[in-house]
Amino acid sequence: MADETFLSDDLLRQLMSVGEVDLLVGILSHSSANTMRRAAHSVEKSLQQNFVRQRVAIISVDGGTAEDSDSDEHSGDGQPGNNSYSKGLNSLRTIHRITAGFNGAPSPGLALRTILSSSDLLRAKACAVVSPATSSTAPEWVANLLRPAFRDSFDFVAPLYSRHKFQGLLARNLLYPMTRALFGRRIRELYSDEWAFSSRLGSYCLNEDVWHEEPVRSRPEAWMGVSAITSDFRCCQVYLGEKPPPPDGAGPDLVEVLRQTVGNLFWLLETHEQSWMERKDSEPVPTFGPEHAVTAEPMEINRARMIEMFQTGVKELEPILKSILSNETLAGIQSVAALDQHSFRFSAELWVTMLYEFAASYHHSVINRDHLVQALVPLYRGKIYSFIEEYSDTSAREMEAASENLCLEFERQKPYLTEKWKAGVEVKS
Amino acid sequence: MRVTIVQGLEQAYYNLVHMIAEFLPRLVVMVVIILVGLVAAYLLGHLVRAVLRLTKLDRVSEDAGASRVLRMADLPSMTELLSRSIFWITWVGFILIGVSVLGVAGLQEQISRLFRFLPEVFIAMLILFLGLVLANFLSRAALLASVNAGIRSPKIWSWSIRFVIWILAISMALEELGLARQTVLAAFSIVFGASMLGLAIAFGLGGQDLARRALERYLGNSTKEKYKEPQPL
Repeated sequence: MADETFLSDDLLRQLMSVGEVDLLVGILSHSSANTMRRAAHSVEKSLQQNFVRQRVAIISVDGGTAEDSDSDEHSGDGQPGNNSYSKGLNSLRTIHRITAGFNGAPSPGLALRTILSSSDLLRAKACAVVSPATSSTAPEWVANLLRPAFRDSFDFVAPLYSRHKFQGLLARNLLYPMTRALFGRRIRELYSDEWAFSSRLGSYCLNEDVWHEEPVRSRPEAWMGVSAITSDFRCCQVYLGEKPPPPDGAGPDLVEVLRQTVGNLFWLLETHEQSWMERKDSEPVPTFGPEHAVTAEPMEINRARMIEMFQTGVKELEPILKSILSNETLAGIQSVAALDQHSFRFSAELWVTMLYEFAASYHHSVINRDHLVQALVPLYRGKIYSFIEEYSDTSAREMEAASENLCLEFERQKPYLTEKWKAGVEVKS
Repeated sequence: MRVTIVQGLEQAYYNLVHMIAEFLPRLVVMVVIILVGLVAAYLLGHLVRAVLRLTKLDRVSEDAGASRVLRMADLPSMTELLSRSIFWITWVGFILIGVSVLGVAGLQEQISRLFRFLPEVFIAMLILFLGLVLANFLSRAALLASVNAGIRSPKIWSWSIRFVIWILAISMALEELGLARQTVLAAFSIVFGASMLGLAIAFGLGGQDLARRALERYLGNSTKEKYKEPQPL
């Protein structure tokens, strides 16, 4: 049952005026009112084409910007659900638009909690969460995500994208293989801006007492996915298309991304300790569409700067790395840092050992946890440099085979993580 | 004459016996207080050790870098150090109370002064410890931030932060103890002012280009393209 106390009176009024729906789409953003309006319009069109007979609502969870103050997307007239957007164009039913406004920017966790509560109150059978950027450019994604949850009774629907071979390398080299090896399900994109879920999973997550936790506040989608896996909900993947580049071209800061994703993953290992320790091997999940697709247009990357930042990091952060890693692993990384650009190779074995030692050190809190994740940044750059060097001239198939080998290496070394995890804290001088 | 000498000796003997009779019970009381203090200090030390182990203070101390400093000074772990300190402080307190029971003139005043001074010593120690913890935490944060941002010579920033916080903590601790207040204030002003002036001169003379580039970067006029990385997600 939804905890209504944190929902605003305005939102509750809007939800009550809508009644019950079959499908709910949450647009989760801190974007401007115009972007949100375009996104809601695109989503509405997609729903009209694909779910003609279903009762549908779109909820925009908006952080609020200066532009929003005079936006008509807020129900400022006190008549929620009756604004100019609460209308259907071609569908047999009205598509409702709801806006949840916050004073200041809400965290993604709070935004998701609002969507889950709304979904629960509206008794939606399936719900999709999308970002305004992708829902504007590819509205059909919404329908593709909703279909398995609504028609095929899947509880968690993860997206699959096609990308440039050198984009999404954190997911390819760390997040996917590690979550696959530990949680035992081959879901490629647990950290994404789009996903869908059933009312069953939504209610389950809503009742969990984790909403105050920082990892859930910053990246709630991975927690939801891992909760689905560990509680044996039915999971699947659906191919959506090419992942669009970030709107401003630059994307988020690498350090911030690692803090949010890797920090989140390490936290998930703690909260689901029992579950991942018991699991052996990994199983594929049903997939709609191709499982992977990569493009290989020429791409400009400043490789020299990348390796320089890795080498500087290993040298300058030695005292910190010493407290996180075993002597052998640190020596291995230092010997990699000593290699020149042409012979540079960061082996999969060393990479996995290093990551497992980071995870165990996070668990034992050998240093401040946020600092620990930040110390991983230069090492990640080294691994990515090695990956780019190794696969710059190879085909997508060869690259995929290498990724599969990396996944198997993560699975092979899982007992090492368990051993380190259970061991006491080793205080080093 | 003879009688007078004998009377004098008798008087001295009586005085001595009287003094011993007066002193012995006090001595016994002192010994009892010291022994009770020993037991109390032992129990309190154990209790503190158990509580600190339960709260995992050593891990916090390790994280803050305080344990490393202790090891460098050949001192035991933070838990052990604090529990031993509690033991000795308690026992010394009981010893001083016991000694004051003897009623030795002038000693009581010194003992009460020492007791009045103890809270300030504790506060000064606490300031130093917090300063150490804060200095290590912030200097590590600065080191990580500058390494990850690709700033050259990241240790300079890290050490500068550590140095400034140490100086601040030491001067605050000395101020708390009331030791040479004027000297400490002057020394702090000189060291801090000199450091800032040195940095200003070094940056102004040696880093004109760097300053220009930094300003250009902050004002958005940089001609050099920002370092771009492949999208991680």
